[in-house]
Amino acid sequence: MLTIIIRSIIIYLIVLLVFRLMGKRQLGQMQPFELVLTLIIADLATIPMAEVAVPVLHGIVPLLTLVLLHFVLTLISRNSQKFSKFISGKPIIIINPKGIDYSALKKLNLSTDDLFEALRGCGYFNISQIQYAIMETNGKVSVMPKAEFSPATNGDLKNEVKESYLPIVLVSEGKIIKENISLAGLSEEKVLNIIKENLCKKDTKLKEVLLLTVDQTGQAYLQLKEGEGKSFTTERLVKI
Amino acid sequence: MKIFHYINFILIFLLLIGICVIEDVMVSDSLYQIQKQCFMIERIVNEKENLKNMDLVLAVDNLEYKWFEDESKMCYLVNHKSIQEIGQEISKIKLYIAEDNINDFLASIDSIKFYCHGYLHFMGASIHNVL
Repeated sequence: MLTIIIRSIIIYLIVLLVFRLMGKRQLGQMQPFELVLTLIIADLATIPMAEVAVPVLHGIVPLLTLVLLHFVLTLISRNSQKFSKFISGKPIIIINPKGIDYSALKKLNLSTDDLFEALRGCGYFNISQIQYAIMETNGKVSVMPKAEFSPATNGDLKNEVKESYLPIVLVSEGKIIKENISLAGLSEEKVLNIIKENLCKKDTKLKEVLLLTVDQTGQAYLQLKEGEGKSFTTERLVKI
Repeated sequence: MKIFHYINFILIFLLLIGICVIEDVMVSDSLYQIQKQCFMIERIVNEKENLKNMDLVLAVDNLEYKWFEDESKMCYLVNHKSIQEIGQEISKIKLYIAEDNINDFLASIDSIKFYCHGYLHFMGASIHNVL
């Protein structure tokens, strides 16, 4: 049993490494060749884990070979449009201003039910609202609505709005994120002062804080583990 | 892509090449050695015409030692179940020496040679194995 436990740990670490090397895209929008690799990896990993007579190398070597193959395919497809189209296919327009392109649907082996399901997933329940729908190479449908059904933006309405900035987390679950503090140009003492000033409690400890975020304009959000969240304005951050 | 990614892939490539070379060298080396030992044992049996002699016992002990040493190394690379027959045959030939059963002894030696040949076939890199 100890052998199986150790083998499982080794294989788990190797598979983790494999996915890290393949990049984050592997986890979300997979191209066909990436999906194939993921399926094979899942199968390969289980064999040496459960079968003690099979050397761990029998699992590791194919996994590493697949990483190399993935690397080579990605490299070639990045440099060659033709190759990229060959292994990943190309986006296909399934709805155009004239309506549904039935030949494209047949080519993709999709039924109208599948199409409607995908459109509903994109938030469109009526096909007359759609100008274009495109089946992407990763199997997702992208929809461009007709102008009259597009959501109005502040730009369309000519509203004057302030630019929003990405808030950075300074404290998370009682721990100061040192990297973000230096990014914000603050010190740990300053952060503690901000917490104490805005909670009106001098005996507040850092471990009681659930979250503290601040953006470039000085808009902050503070919440204790036991208590409600509070928004306030603090000094403008310098570096970000 | 960052440079360390390329370094990672080069390292993986070298590691895979290394594993393939080590496997090929280790497997062919040890199996040829075992075959050689078997031929030597056959020669001793043919010369002495009986199994109750010190040279043969020493040769069989050497064969056993060599095989168990190599087998433990090969288990890192090949399925343990696929290479267990030689160990079983070596156990049998030790029994045949005690019984002075020369025919079965020679048959077992032949089996070991046959298994070595077979292992060389499925462990090495060849088009038959690939397909």
